[in-house]
Formats: sequence, C-alpha cells, structure tokens
Amino acid sequence: MGVDQGQAIRETLLKEIGKCRACRFCVDVCPAYQAAEWVENMSPYGRLQILKYLINGTLNKDDPLVYSLYTCLQCGRCNRVCQAKGQDLEVSNLVRLGKYLLSQGLVKGKKSEKV
Amino acid sequence: MDVNRAKVGRRLAKIVGKEHVFTDRPTSVVYAKDTMPWDVEEKNIPYAVVRPSNSQEISKILKYANEKLIPVHIHGSGTSLVGLARPKTKCIVLDTARMKEIRVYPERGYFEAEPGLHIVQVKKELAKHNAMLPLFPGSELAATIGGTVAVNTSAHGVDAALGKPGDFILGFEVVLPTGEVIQTGTESTRRPAGIELTKFFVGSEGLLGVLTLLRMRLIPLPYFEHIVAYYNKTEDILDTVMEMYKQGIFPPLFYEYLDERASKIGFEAVGLKEPVGAVAMMRIHSWSKAGAKERAQNFLKFLSVANPIEARIVTDPEEWNQIWSSRAEAGNYMYRLGMTFGSEISPRVDKLKDAYQEAQSIVLNLESYKNTEFISFGHIGAPTIHAYAFIPTKDISNEVKRALTLEMREKTEDLNIKYGGCGGEWGLTAQRVPFLKKKYRKEVYEVLVKMKKTLDPNDILNRGNLQGWV
Repeated sequence: MGVDQGQAIRETLLKEIGKCRACRFCVDVCPAYQAAEWVENMSPYGRLQILKYLINGTLNKDDPLVYSLYTCLQCGRCNRVCQAKGQDLEVSNLVRLGKYLLSQGLVKGKKSEKV
Repeated sequence: MDVNRAKVGRRLAKIVGKEHVFTDRPTSVVYAKDTMPWDVEEKNIPYAVVRPSNSQEISKILKYANEKLIPVHIHGSGTSLVGLARPKTKCIVLDTARMKEIRVYPERGYFEAEPGLHIVQVKKELAKHNAMLPLFPGSELAATIGGTVAVNTSAHGVDAALGKPGDFILGFEVVLPTGEVIQTGTESTRRPAGIELTKFFVGSEGLLGVLTLLRMRLIPLPYFEHIVAYYNKTEDILDTVMEMYKQGIFPPLFYEYLDERASKIGFEAVGLKEPVGAVAMMRIHSWSKAGAKERAQNFLKFLSVANPIEARIVTDPEEWNQIWSSRAEAGNYMYRLGMTFGSEISPRVDKLKDAYQEAQSIVLNLESYKNTEFISFGHIGAPTIHAYAFIPTKDISNEVKRALTLEMREKTEDLNIKYGGCGGEWGLTAQRVPFLKKKYRKEVYEVLVKMKKTLDPNDILNRGNLQGWV
C-alpha cells in the first residue's frame, strides 16, 4: 500500500468517524456484540472508536484487542440503524476500510507505517 | 498514583473471571468515550474495564478498590449529555452490561430489573404484561434503566402529567461505595413514608452507591390520542403552555415543539411538507379509550387560545409516527449538517417566554465562535427548552468544541438561575457542578460533599463528577 493511498484512507476514515456522536444506538443490533456478551469494543460503535484512536496515535496496532475490528461480520445492521436514527454512516464499510489499512501493513512483512 | 494494570487485571479476574476483565487500551478507550464532542485524553483512559454479573462481585470489586484507593467509574451505556459518563480520572470502569435480568410479578404489582438492561428491552418485556415503563429518554435504544433512574430523568415526559422515575421506584438493592450490600424500600406497592433510604439513591448519579436491582411499580398501559398544531411562530406555543398551567389544565404526557428552523429540518428529514412556522405535538393519555378521546377533544379546543394556523387530532398511526419522528430527526439531522451545542433550560413556567428570548440572544452572541445559528426544540410542556448553537461544519478543533460547550452551558445555566429552574433531564454533576454551586450556594454543595464522604470516605465512586468537570 502506498503511503499516499494510506493517507487518503486515513483522512476518509477520520472525516467519516468524526461524524459519529457516540450515541451507541447501533450496539444492540450487532450479532458480534451480542455473542461477546455486550462488550462495547466488539460493537460497531467500539470498532469506529478503535479505528479513530489508532489513526490519531492514541492507540497503536500492537495493542491487544485491536482485533475487535475483525469481529465485524459485515451484516450491515448497524448501517441501517445509523441511517434511521443516527448520522447515516456506512459503519461496516468504514470498518472494512480500516481492516484493509491494517492488513496491508501486515502482509507486506515489514514494520507497518504508523496507522 | 502508580498502578500496575496487569496486577489490577489479575485481582479483578479472581472476582469476576478473566473473560470479564479487560486491561488493554483499546477497550479502555472505547468505554471512556461518551457523547461529548471532543476526544478522550490520556487522563480519562481507565486502567481496566470490569464486567461483574451480580452484587456480590461488585461488593468485592469495591472492597478491593477501597483497599488500593483506585477510583471506580460506573458505566451503563455512556449516553449522558453532560459528561457524567466520561471518567474524570484513571480508574476501573465498572460496566453493568452483564446485569440484564428482569422479573415481572403482576401478582405483586411490580417488576424487578437489573441495571444493565436497555430501556427499549424493558419496554418490550413490560408490553407482554400490558404495562408501561415511565422512562422516556430519547436514547432509549441504548440508555440503561440503571443510568436513567440514577439520574432520575423525566427526559421527554411532562413531569406534571405523570411524575419522575423516582415516583415509581419501590426499592433498590444497592452496593455501597465501601462494599456493603443493602436493601431499601418495600415489596408492597405502598411506598414507605418518612425517612427511608430509597429516595437518596434515586438521582444520586452513582455517587452514593451502585444500583444492582431496581423494583418498580407496574403501570397499566394507557390509551393515547395525538394532536399536532402548526403555528406562525414559536412564541405562540410558549403562550399556550403558560396559559395551560395558568388555567390549571392537565397537561399531555408528551408536549414537544420544534421552532421555525427545527420544524423545517425535522419535517424534511421524514419526508413531510415543510411547515410555515413552528410545530407542537402532543400525546394525551388516559386509562380508558373514551377518556383519552375526551381529553384530546378538550385539549384541542383549548389550543385555540394562541390561534394556531391549524390544530388537529391525528388518528392515522402511520401519519402520527411520521410527525412524531420529525422531532427526533430534527436533532439527528442538525448534527448531520454540522455541530450542535445544547442546553437545558427549565424556567419557572410564567417566565417561559422571557427565558426563550434570552436564550436566543445568548446563542446569537457567543464569544467562542462567531455566527452561530439558533435552533431550538424540546419538551415545552414540561417546560424544557433545548436551545442549540448550530455551526454548519464539523471542522473545528477539540479546544473550540470544548470552549463552545462550556460557554453555552454557563450562559444558559444563568437563565435557569435567573428564572428559578434547574433542568430535569440531564443530571446535576459533572459539567453542571458550577451551576449547582451557583444556584444552591456553598452551603448546599457542602451538604452534598458531606453526604458523599459519609458513604464514600475514599471518594471511590465516580470520582470527579461531584468536583465538576471543566
């Protein structure tokens, strides 16, 4: 992944996640959140926060439980709730984009650029 | 304070099991974030998140926290609008999400619920018994019953029509900050008279104990009728509410309004034709169908007092749903279009119009950001005005967001003081402590500090909320 492409994805993610009000209306519909017995970092809201704080440097990719991002099943239920009751974010797409950002750094087999 | 996260984690794991303790930073950050528009800072990030399943585990956690002098911040769903939910200091976050049991006892006239249930889940369960939950937060999809009762918020409901959550609480199981488990109240539908502890925990905002079981009276589901009224200007709605109280007319259970600007945003959001001016919407309740119809007819007649453009009873449930949704959507869409900085103004009812006009002037003349726009809506029958400063961009710094939030808070709180109110929806600590001190003076604030110290000598629970958050 080129640095420029990485930068573009980071900017898109920060802009979109910046719209989230942290209302948490999306958490209950997430099957992974339910299966995890309601742990918030396994919810759509939680994944967006992890991505935001990864990008702004508060967290780093080696922190345990960044893998919460990978618990998203891409079912899209959160998107519907956010569209109806929240800020109309395509939450699952943002998470997918965030996973891509992370995994590209990892598969290259070298130290990832700071996410 | 030098705290070893791993050590804290191991100790907590002995109490609740290792799968219910998190000491990693991603989890801690997620739990520290709330609805405040600026980011979590290093000082807010907890050492650990612990997820107990019962009062005995909470008791052990609090005893350990007292032994090690580590603060504990209670987490329901983090939906507070005045910063109650964000930890003010490094701490253990105590998440109540695993406590979701509910037992309905029609033969006893009450139900018992654990604190981690979301309001919408409780409503669903009670509906099976034809009962109503008298809690109406706009965030019912996420807000917990524990948090709602801990703030004693009447939220969107009109207090004079039904009461506050505390009016329906029969008793609690509470874990005190030092770890003792106590029972309060009664198992009868007859609430105790005299000095009984339940009332001290209702609205205590998690400062005096952790509510681990709530016992609430069952309320039969009423019949509803709905009215929508269109006005040229918001002032006509304010006149109507003032007149309603003056004439001693029993208020609707919900009495909402959208000002001239909010009504356009809300109606457009739900696909309705743009209204000319402001809109009021009312939900009238009664425990008989005929009673609800009669009350609605009478209220409709009364509404002519301020010459609405049109006022009518809405009988089509789909149409009502669309009109009613416009109120919630106005708030959502405002936020989609930019940033909003809110307030909660609940003046003495005969001063409603004065307070509204001054709120408008405050929003239009803020110092932290020039050219803010004024938009308002709220539970006007209560009365509550939510006056918002709106800016049409999200591209502002954390510092400006914080400054705008605090300037709006301070200036609109002065209206509450000037006009004799104190809100009734968002709680009184965290960001609202300066108001609390200003309105009720030092003596009253010191009583609260003494109460806190009596029950929580090491200031373990929700540390920082009573000290205020700036």
